[in-house]
Amino acid sequence: MTRTRASSAHYLTATRFALLEHLRNRFAMVLAVLFIPGWTSLVYRIVSERDVTFLLRASGEWVTAPGDRLSFLPAALNTVTAIIGFMMFTVTFRSSRFDQRLTMAGYPRGALIAAKLTALLVVAALICAYTTALICLHWTPKQPIALWLSLFCAAMAYGGIGVMLGAVLRGELEGMFSMIMISIVDTTLQSPFVNPAGDNDLIRYLPSYGTMQSGMSAAFLSSSPLPHLLLEALWFIGAITAAGVAFKINTRDRSGARVGPVRTRFGTTAGDRTRRA
Amino acid sequence: MHAAHNTAGTTGRTPVLRVDDVHTSYGRHPVLRGASLSLAAGHLGGVVGENGSGKSTLLQLLAGRLAPDRGAIRRPADFGYCPQRTILHPAFTVQQHLRFFQVAYGLRNLDRADHLMDVLGFAGHRHRQVSTLSGGTQQKLNLTLALMHDPPLLLLDEPYQGFDWETYERFWELASDLKERGSSVLIVSHLAFDLTRFDQLWRLRGGRLLDDTRAERTAANGESR
Repeated sequence: MTRTRASSAHYLTATRFALLEHLRNRFAMVLAVLFIPGWTSLVYRIVSERDVTFLLRASGEWVTAPGDRLSFLPAALNTVTAIIGFMMFTVTFRSSRFDQRLTMAGYPRGALIAAKLTALLVVAALICAYTTALICLHWTPKQPIALWLSLFCAAMAYGGIGVMLGAVLRGELEGMFSMIMISIVDTTLQSPFVNPAGDNDLIRYLPSYGTMQSGMSAAFLSSSPLPHLLLEALWFIGAITAAGVAFKINTRDRSGARVGPVRTRFGTTAGDRTRRA
Repeated sequence: MHAAHNTAGTTGRTPVLRVDDVHTSYGRHPVLRGASLSLAAGHLGGVVGENGSGKSTLLQLLAGRLAPDRGAIRRPADFGYCPQRTILHPAFTVQQHLRFFQVAYGLRNLDRADHLMDVLGFAGHRHRQVSTLSGGTQQKLNLTLALMHDPPLLLLDEPYQGFDWETYERFWELASDLKERGSSVLIVSHLAFDLTRFDQLWRLRGGRLLDDTRAERTAANGESR
């Protein structure tokens, strides 16, 4: 196993293929294109438009909003986080052995990880823009760009969790089940319908707490919703760090082999080619 | 990136791969109990053994995918490894695999890979997605990815699995060519025929590698008489 300094060629090639992987994940594409509008529209039409009052912990205010609009955000958040988490879990899990082979061949781990994160960033930005546009088709949030940013931060955090699960779990089914359950528990406990008072401090430790607070502010208030998004950044960093450690452990040279140089060819040694450990 | 090619006879006989007293186990089940071998430069080595004797475990240890409990392994940093189970990405085409590994190996071009594809007879599948290829063609790509950077040491685990007879013959021509170029090749297989093709042969039994080279040559000579 050899270690190579990452170059722009490594990063660009890996990024191109990481994006291609997502494009070829047709099931996830269909979910993103059809399930997000389907589910959010269904919730919007079925939930009563009668006003609901809930405590927005970010501002400490009791906010009153129409039920159908209020239901839209948790529904959108639930689908976006589950789909992005599922996409990242799938590509990480399915390419795990292939990535190991690439690192054995000398591909720098850093370039592979950076490429996956770039792909996550692009996919999350696009899907969240699509979801925000869908919201705007139904009603106009107070701060649409801040709402997009809130969804994007949750998508990045869940993408990180997906990468982490893909790196540590051994079964595809258990990973997908974990991803969906985390998203359901997370958004359900914070839903203004289920928990309008939101008075238990434990909810602030949920992965999308920051997004729910900033997203609700962006949707219904004019105040700045951004500081809570730092919580999403913490979730993202934590999950990606765990995934990076798992990836490094999975792809390390375990043999303890002492490496050449061994004279093998006329005029060359095994230790003097372009890549060396 | 390509090393200068070599002709037969210019390689020394320094061991390219050396394994000393390697032990490993899965839980309480010992798999290797003091396995040792030494493979010289430009030699074709074979390890044969029954199913479950630990051949793939040995190769994974040599490739660095598993850690030995005890013992020492010495090999060049640059080597090619062809795993028994094909490790490919179903979403990518053959060409995309080659491109990915070209960057991994730091190769200037794909000339060697193109040659290998011609020899193994799957150049026509270049633009097909791996998930649409037959098992045999996937194995050809699996092998090509291990050989395309022309490394000094090749570790091949059941490399001709799924090949038809013609491709099997071409594989051995390729192995001879690799020898000629100065590469050392270690092949593990459960197939106990064509053993005379190997310069060095070990039989994996009871967790140890028994040198069978002389016995095999004697048997082959006896048959030829």
